[in-house]
Amino acid sequence: MSVVKKKKRVSKKNKKAWGKYSDIRDVEEFLEDQRLEERLGKFETKPDSELFVVDTGGDKAPEKKEGEDVKPLSRKLQKRAKLKEVPKCFEVLLPTSKVQDPNAKRNKVNPIGSKPTALSKLTRQRQAKKGALEKKLVEAKKNRKMAIDKKRKEKKVRQNFNLDLWGGDSPEVKGIPATLVDEFISPEAQLHNVLPTQRLRPKPPLAKTVVTRAAVETPHPGVSYNPSYKEHQELLQQVGAHEEKMMKKEAHLMRVTTGMFRRITQQEKENQWREEMSAGLPQPHNPADDPESDTDNEYKAINPPVKNKKKDHKARRKQKEQLAEKERLKREKIDKKKITDIYKLRQLRSSLRTREQKQSEERSKRAEKRAAAEATALPTLSAHKTPVKEPDFVDPKQLSGDLRNIKSTTNLLRDRFESLQRRGALAASKIMMKKKRKLKSYFKPGHKVTEKDIEKYVTRSAGKK
Amino acid sequence: MVSKKKKKYSSGEGAQFMTRKAALKKLQLSLKDFRRICILKGIYPREPRNRKRAQKGAGGIKTLYHTKDIKFLLHEPIIWKLRELKVYQQKIRRARAMREYKTMKKYLRDHPQINIDHIVKERYPTFVDALRDLDDCLTLCFLFSTFPSLKKVPRDQSMLCRRLTVEFMHAVIAAKALRKVFVSIKGYYYQVELEGQTITWIVPHHFSFQPQSKDEVDFKIMSTFVDFYTMMLGFVNFKLYHSLNLVYPPKLTSAFSADTDKDLIDEHVYVAERIAAMNMSLSRVEGANDAEELPEMDIFNTEDEDPQKLEEAKLEAEKVKKLKTMFKGLKFFINREVPREPLVFIIRCFGGEVSWDRDHFVGATFDESDESIAYHIVDRPSMDKQYLSRYYVQPQWVFDSVNARTLLPINQYLMGAVLPPHLSPFVDKTKDQVYIPPEERALNDPDFKPLDGNESGTDIEEASDEDKDDEEEADSEEDGDAEAALAKQYQQEVEEDSDSDEDDSVDPEKKKLAKEKKKAMAVTTGVPHKEHPYQKEIEDKQAFRLREKLVRKKHRNLYKSMKAGQEKRKKEIWLLRKKRRLHDEKVKEDKKAEKRKQKVQALEASA
Repeated sequence: MSVVKKKKRVSKKNKKAWGKYSDIRDVEEFLEDQRLEERLGKFETKPDSELFVVDTGGDKAPEKKEGEDVKPLSRKLQKRAKLKEVPKCFEVLLPTSKVQDPNAKRNKVNPIGSKPTALSKLTRQRQAKKGALEKKLVEAKKNRKMAIDKKRKEKKVRQNFNLDLWGGDSPEVKGIPATLVDEFISPEAQLHNVLPTQRLRPKPPLAKTVVTRAAVETPHPGVSYNPSYKEHQELLQQVGAHEEKMMKKEAHLMRVTTGMFRRITQQEKENQWREEMSAGLPQPHNPADDPESDTDNEYKAINPPVKNKKKDHKARRKQKEQLAEKERLKREKIDKKKITDIYKLRQLRSSLRTREQKQSEERSKRAEKRAAAEATALPTLSAHKTPVKEPDFVDPKQLSGDLRNIKSTTNLLRDRFESLQRRGALAASKIMMKKKRKLKSYFKPGHKVTEKDIEKYVTRSAGKK
Repeated sequence: MVSKKKKKYSSGEGAQFMTRKAALKKLQLSLKDFRRICILKGIYPREPRNRKRAQKGAGGIKTLYHTKDIKFLLHEPIIWKLRELKVYQQKIRRARAMREYKTMKKYLRDHPQINIDHIVKERYPTFVDALRDLDDCLTLCFLFSTFPSLKKVPRDQSMLCRRLTVEFMHAVIAAKALRKVFVSIKGYYYQVELEGQTITWIVPHHFSFQPQSKDEVDFKIMSTFVDFYTMMLGFVNFKLYHSLNLVYPPKLTSAFSADTDKDLIDEHVYVAERIAAMNMSLSRVEGANDAEELPEMDIFNTEDEDPQKLEEAKLEAEKVKKLKTMFKGLKFFINREVPREPLVFIIRCFGGEVSWDRDHFVGATFDESDESIAYHIVDRPSMDKQYLSRYYVQPQWVFDSVNARTLLPINQYLMGAVLPPHLSPFVDKTKDQVYIPPEERALNDPDFKPLDGNESGTDIEEASDEDKDDEEEADSEEDGDAEAALAKQYQQEVEEDSDSDEDDSVDPEKKKLAKEKKKAMAVTTGVPHKEHPYQKEIEDKQAFRLREKLVRKKHRNLYKSMKAGQEKRKKEIWLLRKKRRLHDEKVKEDKKAEKRKQKVQALEASA
């Protein structure tokens, strides 16, 4: 563009203005070239082989050689081959510049996790022998110990309980993570990381049985280590009643199951079986018990045909009259009763009232009973039955009356466990004991060593000698 | 267009419940982890109203959870921790399988722990909530503190339980919160009152460990419960100590110096042992005033102003105040055969000082030879060396005194004496309309005097003479037993001793009586208005009947049945009293007749 423009006076007061109106293209081009050279290497220094290729094939595409048939790689091998390649996603991170490292003697840093080479091991050994690494080693040991101690201490925080949970304003209580409790972290940042105090989903209320039933029931006064006679007797009565109930239940079960079936001997059973199995089979003819032998030889059907005998007119009339008479009498009786009932009204009313009263009483009683049963009912939370609370039994023989000779028969842990089940905090369960696996040992067919083999071996070894 | 058909069980009870299996699937947890998180978070299985519907038509009984509960669990951050833990376990398992024991050890050392304090706060939003639920916690912690290391229980758990329970006991001592004690064959029942909440727990008797049979209790589950409870108890302890102005973790006061007898080199263990001994008070926070007196109970004008109830409440408060300082200034010595910990705990709760044999347990503060010991607690029939300056009482005296809220007369609890029954303090006080035999009443109420004893004295002179004869005869009979006589003499001496003590307490009453009599003798100015007592009674009754009329129709039946019940019970008591009286009279008559007969016979023989 060699059009000469009319010169115009412009200000070149500051750098920006200078740049705007002065032609610096040649300088910039030169610098651009230089940078390009730096990146890609100098054009002059490159060998010809790198720059030019001798075209021998012409326009035709290179053909495959016929003799070599290249096996396609298996999928596994393909994968393996790919392992060596740099992943596409990381290619961006690789340096593309040809600019040389300004630091000519840069320390090579092995990537983390790489194994020490044989050489590095040797140098390390040599250095250790020389005593050059001693200080480093000591320091490393110290650091390691410090790290472990720190970890251990963090673990113990759980048992220190140095936190006022129900205190109110301390950061820990508010739910600010411990890493953010520091003076240089702004309260906004701290609060940002707090979980919402009011949870999105509030905890649903607990079951009624869990809340209302006492964890530690007040003991019966008879379980005292030195009870009064009356109270102890009361307890014994309770235990006795409970035991009787259980016995009754057991007896009932026995009666209803095992006792229901009559017992027979093996012989009887066999006979029964024989009889049942041979039912319907042709029996050998026995003229003695043949019932038909006594009667005359007249044929008689088992089910003689039914005759449809019609009633005559007279009989029909009689029947009709009888029915009408019956109906009339019934009507008469009802009419009569209606008249008498008018005089009976008061009695009727009173009887109705008493009946209703009785019913309502019974109803309320039933409701009460049901409510009482519900209040103490054991929760059924699983297929297993929740254990019933058994009264603590104190054998009168074991009551010594002094603290020294107390003998406890109850297992407190079991008591707690069952109490949890009774409150509905745990589903009743049955502990499944793990069966010990029985290992069957056997010899592999070819490895079996019999007496014969041993003999053979012995004779052979003796022969060698 | 027909609307889309509603699927069955997609609403109502069928949608409200979820089987355990479904819950596991939803939370992506193993059964073990699910159990653990349920216990920690306090999510329990539910019982449906209609099982068939809740199980979506399936038969049998399945463990069901509320869908809402499971959704609530879904938000818990610990679930992520549990999943991480699973991976960690896999690493450990792998290291073990590969026999890389070094890495395995490292993994075990750095085993991550789950922090559950936010759960404690979530489950118990206020301190009082936590206190209300402390019964189970304390019972289990006290129980686990006696366990050795078991297979399914973490090794440090029993030690932690022990530490926390001791700390809690110290807090109770400092707060003087113990109210009731009951020794049963199961263990010691304690009841304390903290912040207006009554907490009851059981401490097992101190036996050597009894092996637990495996098939009774799932140890893993109980251990998880204890895991949560220890956390809770720890924070409760912290809060209690702070509210009592004590230093937490507990430290002994500066008066206690560790230099006196330094058998243990480890200072920590040494202090921990002394703290476990429980007979020294803990150090307070600096600047806190020691003597904190509770102010007098305020009386508010409540809507249903019942002066009787108010009076009762006031009396109760007075009694409790007295109970708190019952053993103050008294020194106790505990003999070897007596269970140390419960007694120390009880005595210290009411301000007493305790010590024991130096070889028995660490932390003894004074020896048996200390002359200032007031009570020596023994549980054996006799002792070789006895000090005259102290009472030898059986441990039950302490328990009964606490329950009676006064120092009971010791004559029934002396060494070797046959003890009166140990009654439960947990009986329902509202059922007061029952017959109490005079013996029991005398036990409960020291002021009560059985009437028939006095009557026999005043009835007939002859009879009283005979009674005296009877006593003398009995004495002569007993003389045969030299030992018994000696024991009795000793008892009498002790009784005299105690009498001298009691005289002080009785004297003011007598003085009062005398004063009253004197007052009655003094001349007073006449009172113009004279109220007819009988007339007033009638008026009161009428007023009462009028008020009865005002009972609402809704409550009338209830009121009637209540009244009928009262009448019935009264009648029963009356009947039993009458029976007893008749029986006693008959026995007395018979005795008299026998005496007379014997006398006549003796006269005839002499003649």
